[in-house]
Amino acid sequence: MAQTRSSTTVRKPDARLTRGARRTSSPYLVYALQRVAQAVAVVLLAYCFTFLVISVLPGDPVTNTLRNPENNFTEEEIARIVAYYGLDQPVHVQLWESLSRFLTGDLGVSLRSNLPVSRLIGEIIGSTLVLAVSALVVAVVLAFGIAYGTRNLPAPLARPLRAFPSLFLSVPNFVIGLLLINIFAFQLGLFQVIDSEGPAATFFAAVALGIPVSAQIAEVLIANLDHEARQEYAGFATSRGLSRSRLFWRHLLKPSSLPVVTVVALTVGELLGGALITETIFGRTGVGSLVQRSVTTQDLPVLQAVVVLAAITFVVVNLVVDLVYPLLDPRVDLRGATKRVRPVTEGASA
Amino acid sequence: MAPQDRLNDQRSGRTGGSTATLEIPVVKGPDDLLRVRDLSVSYGGHQVVTDVSFDLPRGHSLALIGESGSGKSTIARSVLRLLPAGVGRATGTIEVQGQDVLALPERHFRPLRGRTVGFVPQDPSASLNPVRTIGSQAREAAALLPGDLTKADRRRAVVDVLLRVGLDDPERVLASYPHQLSGGMLQRVLIGLAVLPQPALLVADEPTSALDVTIQKRILDLLTDLRDSLDISLLLITHDLAIAAERADSVVVLKDGRVQEAGPTAQVSGAPTSDYARRLHADVPALNPDRYAGLRDVGAARRALSEDEEPKIVVRGVSKTFTVDRKQLTAVDDLSFAVPAGTTHAIVGESGSGKTTTIRLLLGLETPDTGEIIVAGERVDGRSHAQLRAVRRHLQFVYQNPFTSLDPTWKVERLVREPLDRFKIGTKDEQREEVRRAVDAVGLDHTLLGRRPDALSGGQRQRVAIARALVLKPDVIVLDEPTSALDVSVQADIVQVLLTLQADLGLTYVFVSHDLALVRQLAHTVSVVRRGKVVEEGTVAQIFDAPREDYTRVLLDSIPDATHGRREVEPSEKAS
Repeated sequence: MAQTRSSTTVRKPDARLTRGARRTSSPYLVYALQRVAQAVAVVLLAYCFTFLVISVLPGDPVTNTLRNPENNFTEEEIARIVAYYGLDQPVHVQLWESLSRFLTGDLGVSLRSNLPVSRLIGEIIGSTLVLAVSALVVAVVLAFGIAYGTRNLPAPLARPLRAFPSLFLSVPNFVIGLLLINIFAFQLGLFQVIDSEGPAATFFAAVALGIPVSAQIAEVLIANLDHEARQEYAGFATSRGLSRSRLFWRHLLKPSSLPVVTVVALTVGELLGGALITETIFGRTGVGSLVQRSVTTQDLPVLQAVVVLAAITFVVVNLVVDLVYPLLDPRVDLRGATKRVRPVTEGASA
Repeated sequence: MAPQDRLNDQRSGRTGGSTATLEIPVVKGPDDLLRVRDLSVSYGGHQVVTDVSFDLPRGHSLALIGESGSGKSTIARSVLRLLPAGVGRATGTIEVQGQDVLALPERHFRPLRGRTVGFVPQDPSASLNPVRTIGSQAREAAALLPGDLTKADRRRAVVDVLLRVGLDDPERVLASYPHQLSGGMLQRVLIGLAVLPQPALLVADEPTSALDVTIQKRILDLLTDLRDSLDISLLLITHDLAIAAERADSVVVLKDGRVQEAGPTAQVSGAPTSDYARRLHADVPALNPDRYAGLRDVGAARRALSEDEEPKIVVRGVSKTFTVDRKQLTAVDDLSFAVPAGTTHAIVGESGSGKTTTIRLLLGLETPDTGEIIVAGERVDGRSHAQLRAVRRHLQFVYQNPFTSLDPTWKVERLVREPLDRFKIGTKDEQREEVRRAVDAVGLDHTLLGRRPDALSGGQRQRVAIARALVLKPDVIVLDEPTSALDVSVQADIVQVLLTLQADLGLTYVFVSHDLALVRQLAHTVSVVRRGKVVEEGTVAQIFDAPREDYTRVLLDSIPDATHGRREVEPSEKAS
């Protein structure tokens, strides 16, 4: 318990200080390795889960194709092909082989085009990544802009600004997308719908995708800024003669932004899902169009790869957040909640 | 200063008229640094401060004292212009060095912040930005230093001031984040940062209420010393009349946002004239050590009678060690004491002394590594859960904070009845009867039975908690700082209730506290504990009148002593 810690005024803080200094070396390394191991495990589990779900779904595309009377395969041929793909094996054997191939980077072959899945994905992933990352940038910039405005603009402007996040959240991103196309492509002619991969088109697609995401970030940021501004330290800083804007930049922004890091990680799902819709509206080739084609043709290896890709994206983003957070927030205690010692105060009674 | 004098005349003329109902003797000085006239503050239309006026001469200290809701912090925040924007509205005048703070636009007031008016906030753990180092926050205070200083000069000034406030290793402190330092160290940092730009006025809002008593004394000594050596005027906000009496030249007593009494400390604390100040004076334990002597002696008489009997509580050679970070930490080390039936035994210590662990051991929530604990003839330690239930019927507990210890969704009736339900005692009617008896015993009105804790005051809540403990008719009640979350007047009520119950029912109390003055009022025997060990034990008279150990003396010395007047400086002659 906390109160047993040695309590000479001088020695006690020393112990804590050295612990603070050690934070970046060994406990952090242990923590990072644990997180990486967890991430790898999650990806593997996601792979197995997708594989099993697909395998229990009715309608095996190989059999569908082979048994199709138009194709005229003999039973013997069917058996040979099924054996070739290993489909006569028990599920766990198939899983094991599929998993071993996955670990060596082999995602299988598309049933529709006979091209390696990794090549199919490689061709389109760049476009989706560009869209998602630009949307994230748009979202973050917009969110911080709104949050800055609510605290630093005069009240008649700041108050309506607070309504923006809920407004953004309540409009679906395909509506925003259609509006943007209508205004900026058809009426103002700022970009060509035909040239859907051009920088201007990409920018507006990113805006359409980023606006709802920015709403979530802005809401958290505004709430946190309000909370931090009410803390005693804000008053103490003001009493030291800091101006409003210095208080914002030097004191309120960092503690308020820390939870935003977590929110950003949570919006990755939204970005991925939204990307598929936005790509369709803006006519971009990307993961969205690939998924659409694969679903209609039951191209299972491609679907499996896309699902695993989504899982990997999630895991990697969350891993980065987990690894970065302790470096940003000095209060995070890496030694785990169970072993945690409450910060001992010389003063607080009992 | 001619304009100043003219201003004085104007102001005093106006004051006489506006506060006709109450004669406020205002401390007059040749050069008033802070003059507050007819200050009223409202939050969203709700008036919390009404027509408050006082003066603070240069180099003096003035204490604003009052209980929660008295408006003392609101006044401090008005002087600092830290009222919540858009909600708080202040009218009247607050003059600092002749400038009306309330009338100044923010851009003209800002240069005064820190340089002229410094602030020491209440809660050291919340008053520094948690994600920035102390060094980076100290630079902001250093930026207020006048003149053309280099970076190194400013840094040296910061280091010097930290040394001055008693932080031995400033470099290390500057490199730390707030959560890496203790409360006492943080409070020193706050004071250091506030005095660094050498403000003429320092506003200290309950600067010690979150600290242990010995630290409290050191911090107050530091403030007193800085006031004298740097010629800073001190506006001290406190709920503790004893601290005010010891540290301030003059005192303003507030209640519900109005001045009840004001004047030189000796007058207000020695011979209060207003009803409220008199009551407050009577309620402060440090000023009235023998207030409850009569009631307490009933217990003492019982103790004399029961000298040969087996004590109600026996704790013998109890130790408890926890493993934290793979290190062994001994929370309680060979603790022994015995409590005769019908008396109060106080366990006194600062944070880290093992008080909480002792309580948990007594209640059977932790099992001691060695030793034995016997309550009412039955072993508490080493029992199974089911066996403990039987012990708990006559061993009850009252928590420290009645604001968190009662389920906010339950009504009082159910809260008090719950122990009966747990032990399946009585029929519905009998239970109702018992609940009413317990509620009567603590002096709560029956109309409150249908209320939820939110609709009760702090004192009422703690009475509910005591009634809840009483309803099982226990022999022993363990009280964990039962009044530390309450105002002094409410504390006095609760102490009265506890002592009356003891006299009537012969209850045995184990009273855990860091407040020695309070312990002196109500306990019979005392164990002074430090780092899990008993430093000294004995009767209240032995401990308080003839302490044998240094640590006990240090603790006793940190009880504010109002009779000394202003400590460590020449008393009020300085003013005249």
